[in-house]
Amino acid sequence: MVSMKIPALEIDHLRKVYRSGIVAVDDVSFSIPSGEFFGFLGPNGAGKTTTIRCATGLATLTAGTIKTFGFDVVSDYREARKRIGLSPQEFNVDIFASARRILDWMGGFYGMAKGDRARRSEDLLGRFDLLPHADKPFQALSGGLKRRVMLARAMIHDPDLLILDEPTAGVDVELRHDLWKYLQELNRDGKTIFLTSHYIEEVEMLCSRMAIIDHGKIIAIGDKSEFLKGGRSLEQVYLNLTRRGKQGQETGTGAA
Amino acid sequence: MKSQAKTQPSVPAPGAAAPRIDKVNWIGLKTFIHRELQRPFRVPIQTLMTPWIMALLYIFVFGRVIGSRIEAVGGVSYIDFVLPGILMLNVLMAAFSHTSSSLYFQRFARHIEEILVAPLSHFEMITGYVLAGVVRASIVGAGVFFIAYFFSAANLEHLFLALFYILAGSTLFSLIGLLVGLWAKQFEQLAVLGIFVITPLSYVGGMFNTLDMLPVRLQRITTFNPFWYFIDGMRYALIGVHESNLWAGALLIVFLLVAVGMLVWRLFSIGWRLRD
Repeated sequence: MVSMKIPALEIDHLRKVYRSGIVAVDDVSFSIPSGEFFGFLGPNGAGKTTTIRCATGLATLTAGTIKTFGFDVVSDYREARKRIGLSPQEFNVDIFASARRILDWMGGFYGMAKGDRARRSEDLLGRFDLLPHADKPFQALSGGLKRRVMLARAMIHDPDLLILDEPTAGVDVELRHDLWKYLQELNRDGKTIFLTSHYIEEVEMLCSRMAIIDHGKIIAIGDKSEFLKGGRSLEQVYLNLTRRGKQGQETGTGAA
Repeated sequence: MKSQAKTQPSVPAPGAAAPRIDKVNWIGLKTFIHRELQRPFRVPIQTLMTPWIMALLYIFVFGRVIGSRIEAVGGVSYIDFVLPGILMLNVLMAAFSHTSSSLYFQRFARHIEEILVAPLSHFEMITGYVLAGVVRASIVGAGVFFIAYFFSAANLEHLFLALFYILAGSTLFSLIGLLVGLWAKQFEQLAVLGIFVITPLSYVGGMFNTLDMLPVRLQRITTFNPFWYFIDGMRYALIGVHESNLWAGALLIVFLLVAVGMLVWRLFSIGWRLRD
């Protein structure tokens, strides 16, 4: 049972500098309580995906710490990774494997016994309407079906924290709405969800709390109500903040 | 997508326990090896038939066609003399090809990220790749030996020694394959080691000739060629004939295994060309 007091994700003074010298994430700190639906917004190249990759073990940390449910993602990587399910932006699967096989393998990597992952795979394939396509090679699926496979794969080991990087990119409106409903159900049942998206309305609808990152720094963070006070839309707030940041960069002053 | 109202509840219970993993993720390792072994059997013509056909041609041409016109070499028939080299070359190339191509393509297609986000240790990842390379190499080697049987060249004087050279050689070259799989940025670079190192050093490493058939200076150089020890050791295991110091050869193989193994582990642990 996951304790509600331990943050689902705790990022402390994260800094990531690539070998090229680019500072992708610059002293980012924030915490996501267990059970929250958290939105992470930012323009392209702001540091969203880098932050996610640091949290999930796909990137090394230059400085700082990241913990998930109290487990350090570096020193306690096994316990940390067991609790995270990642649906990345890119389709990083064996394109010749079927959806059923992809789920089976992923469940196995997380230490699930064969019987458990078979049952769980069938459940998720059914849940995402993938059963008619379960044995087709991934590359033969439509974009929407591929996106469903990615989400099912993220869920195979029943993680407590779901990290979704642009989960509805390239999917049709109907599927997007279905996914929203499903994610809301998961969140109501106690899953913590960390969502990045370029669809502002998606974040505004789903998330209770959000942060905006730009040029590797958090420029705003708070409850949805704080962003929307005064009748503003999230899109307006986002554009104001990121445009200010851009102007600040051009004139040499910091973002507000 | 099915809503919860239409089907029986399938949203997982909150806080469901993550699978328990002890010091070794045995299920994860087994799954990884299983996935790695599926790949060569997906393309059996390339991974299995090609080395077997090449071995068949070598055995036929050098064994029957040319060998029937050559006197005994090293005190044995020419086919018996060359088979150990043919066997070792195919085993080493199979192991190297498996891990180098597997790791490279997983990096290229990015589905290496599936194991990087999973609770698998670096040791488990490396073990998975290497074991799959060893299995593929062993199957190739067994096939070559089976082909040799039809040419009456399938001798086996020292079984456990033969197994040592097959397992140690394929493990070593699986590890070397991982190094190349990490290093390569282009598909073409995968072939570099095979074309410019493994095959030529095998050919001049006593595959077709005894040491005393070479000029004196080349004899001395050959004793620094590690492939000479692999081939000569396998030759002793199969037909009981050797020229090298077998203990020196075995120690060299063990030394290389440890050195290359540590280098691979180090590169995996710092995420070189694996993690951003």
